[in-house]
Amino acid sequence: MVDFATILAGFSDAFSLYNLMFVLLGVVLGQFVGAVPGIGPIMAMAIAIPFTFGLDPLPAIAFLVGVNKGGLVGGAVPAVLMNTPGTPDAAATALDGYPLARQGKPLKATKMALFSSVTGDTFSDIVLITISAPLAILALRMGPIEIVALMIFAFSILAGLVGTSLTKGIIAAALGLLVASIGTDPENFTPRLIFGFWDLFNGLPLPSVAIGLLAISEILHRLSLAHGNVRAAITVADTGNPDDRRVTWIEYWTCRYTMMRGALIGTVLGALPGIGSTAAAFMSYSMTKAGSKDPKSFGKGNLHGIAAAESANSAVVGANLIPLLTLGIPGSVGAALIISAFMIHGMQPGPLLFENQGRLVYGLFGAMLMANFLNLWVGQLGLRFWIKVVSAPESIIFSSALLLCFVGVSMATNGLFGVSIMLIFAVLGYVMASFGYSLVIFIIAFFLGPRFEKSIAQSLSLTNGDLTQVFKSPVAAALLILSVASFIWFLRKNVQDDAE
Amino acid sequence: MKLKTKLLAFAAGAMMALSGPAMAQDWAPDGPLTIQIGFGAGGSTDTMGRILGKVMADNTGWNIIVENKPGGGGVAMFTGLSQMPPNGQTIGMGVSIPVLVQLVQRGDQLPFDTTSFDYLGTIAKAELALVASKDAPFDDLDGMIAYAKKQGGLPLATMAPPQVLMMKATSRVKDAEFNLVTADGGAEVMKLILGGQVLAGFGSGEHVPYLESGDMKVIASANQSRLSYAPEVKTFVESGVNAFVDPVFFLAMTGGTDPAAVAAISAAMAEAVKSDEIAEIVKNAVQGAPINMGPEGTQQMMTDGLAAAEVLFAE
Repeated sequence: MVDFATILAGFSDAFSLYNLMFVLLGVVLGQFVGAVPGIGPIMAMAIAIPFTFGLDPLPAIAFLVGVNKGGLVGGAVPAVLMNTPGTPDAAATALDGYPLARQGKPLKATKMALFSSVTGDTFSDIVLITISAPLAILALRMGPIEIVALMIFAFSILAGLVGTSLTKGIIAAALGLLVASIGTDPENFTPRLIFGFWDLFNGLPLPSVAIGLLAISEILHRLSLAHGNVRAAITVADTGNPDDRRVTWIEYWTCRYTMMRGALIGTVLGALPGIGSTAAAFMSYSMTKAGSKDPKSFGKGNLHGIAAAESANSAVVGANLIPLLTLGIPGSVGAALIISAFMIHGMQPGPLLFENQGRLVYGLFGAMLMANFLNLWVGQLGLRFWIKVVSAPESIIFSSALLLCFVGVSMATNGLFGVSIMLIFAVLGYVMASFGYSLVIFIIAFFLGPRFEKSIAQSLSLTNGDLTQVFKSPVAAALLILSVASFIWFLRKNVQDDAE
Repeated sequence: MKLKTKLLAFAAGAMMALSGPAMAQDWAPDGPLTIQIGFGAGGSTDTMGRILGKVMADNTGWNIIVENKPGGGGVAMFTGLSQMPPNGQTIGMGVSIPVLVQLVQRGDQLPFDTTSFDYLGTIAKAELALVASKDAPFDDLDGMIAYAKKQGGLPLATMAPPQVLMMKATSRVKDAEFNLVTADGGAEVMKLILGGQVLAGFGSGEHVPYLESGDMKVIASANQSRLSYAPEVKTFVESGVNAFVDPVFFLAMTGGTDPAAVAAISAAMAEAVKSDEIAEIVKNAVQGAPINMGPEGTQQMMTDGLAAAEVLFAE
């Protein structure tokens, strides 16, 4: 165990003006790249890593953590203001954020996103700092069989998002899984459905699919509604009521349970490598909607919807560092990049990290907390700027957004191949949305499909194909029983809602 | 785009014809030089490639861009590289074994072979070990095989096709069953071992902190020679399984690139590999020292490696 003096020394290292500057720089950069459609914090981190070589380890890692955290807050901005999420997890925020922004309350919507994001993030950071060791042991116990059961449970909760037509929901999910099966199979490494395109060997690039399906298809939709009249992309209604421009303390406080649930879901899923923020955001949203007294208000600008999604997807980021710092296992691409920053500075995350580098680790924790506060502060200033930006005429906003999506995807996927994929999915998304198929269900299935398949393959290999062995794991059995229960419950609820 | 590169190549060719044979030290890239990494962001190859790019840029003043082009263990990137015009502006960085195994398994479907490239050199060699939890009821490969026979199967994690093929070769030779679980990289293998879901697995450096902490032990070296940090542990070959993998991190350019460009870039790379920065990152990434085999040595390594892979992995 690290002694108290080391902890204090670490924190005092972090709270220096010099480090503060790097965290601030990271947060500003992260919020900016997160908010600009198509770029995102991951690319910014990958580019920045070699340049941190000349820095001391703490400011270098603090800077990258700042970028990562800032990106989360920034990512909600285009989702809420324009309904063009750049990442799948922000799509959950758009479900209620965008309708609220359309009602002339964009500041209220983005501020709620900011506050709940910082709340969820701070919660998971505190969990990381205080009880990461036992949580990591718990995460280790979740083997392939338990992960399969957990993912089935996640899918059953997501049934709450299916909406009015169960058939269309199932079709959207099946299409998502089908598209996810493009690429190398996880068991025998045989290329599937790649039709000679070796670029597809690792599957369809996520940025292309996400931005094409979620952002560009929405822009196409908006273009199809335009009739030659010049409108602002968003209007800030001057109602004379200042409460439309802010989140009151009472509003924040009434969302406390929603945010706690989101933060808990995000923290638990974040501690397990590979499941990620998308599942967390949508699970939290779906559970909040199902538990609400007024489920019909969701999707129409309910603050709880924004709070549920943002608190959960932000909580994943802090919790991702639990397996990273204690076991050296990255839970996401962002975490993998932080590992490479550790390696550059001569540290190996793993069992001895706290012992050998305790002071640095606690310095990192200090920097994380600092980044949360700065996120809040920079966010408050930045949101006004972004709302000014999107108050420009639609013709300017959407053409610039389109350009940025092209540039961003071609950078993220290194070339025009990724851009072609993006365009294919833009058209697919437009057609699906026009016929009432849920893009959200599609993208979740696409996102979770490969991980689900891999875990099934691993489980089958471990059990020699004998599925009854699942019931030898109490955790897996319990999760499967819960899945059946929640699936039935959500279906009945859907039927009841339809009947009303 | 294509026309522009063709024009550039033509212009470069014309200039070379006029100026006579250029010397390596005279050569400088005409525009930015791109290093394409055949793996995703955040792994050992990516980290080493990005630092290499930075050190080369610092030393030469060239503008060097580093990109990730993941897919098929580098095959997607090398496929693209082999189809480019040899304009001296794009360098590929990959790992030898995954490319060689793909060439053996589906070489007829790939548009390149080992002769399609001009090799620049190597950075490092990965030491691949088979490791197990400290509580595992065996201490070496023979013990593990005996235990697998007794139990009628042993769960074991791999992270790439070559390791699967090695274990299948072991099954054949020793008549023991293994439940092979494919993981996404060494970190997930470590998770499966620590969580007790598998009894052993392959690691290319991720396990070293666990050796230091005493949570894991080395069962065998999967390289041709023994491991530098565990010289007492036998290789697969020494235990009677004639299979090994020696993954080498190497750089190459499209075949037919201007020899002056190849000479200048490989010289810049060689200088960079000697730097302290590269020594540090190689130590942290693969627990070894930088190794540069030079252009001819790398070419030889790939040619010999293909022959060896054909023997080892063609079933």
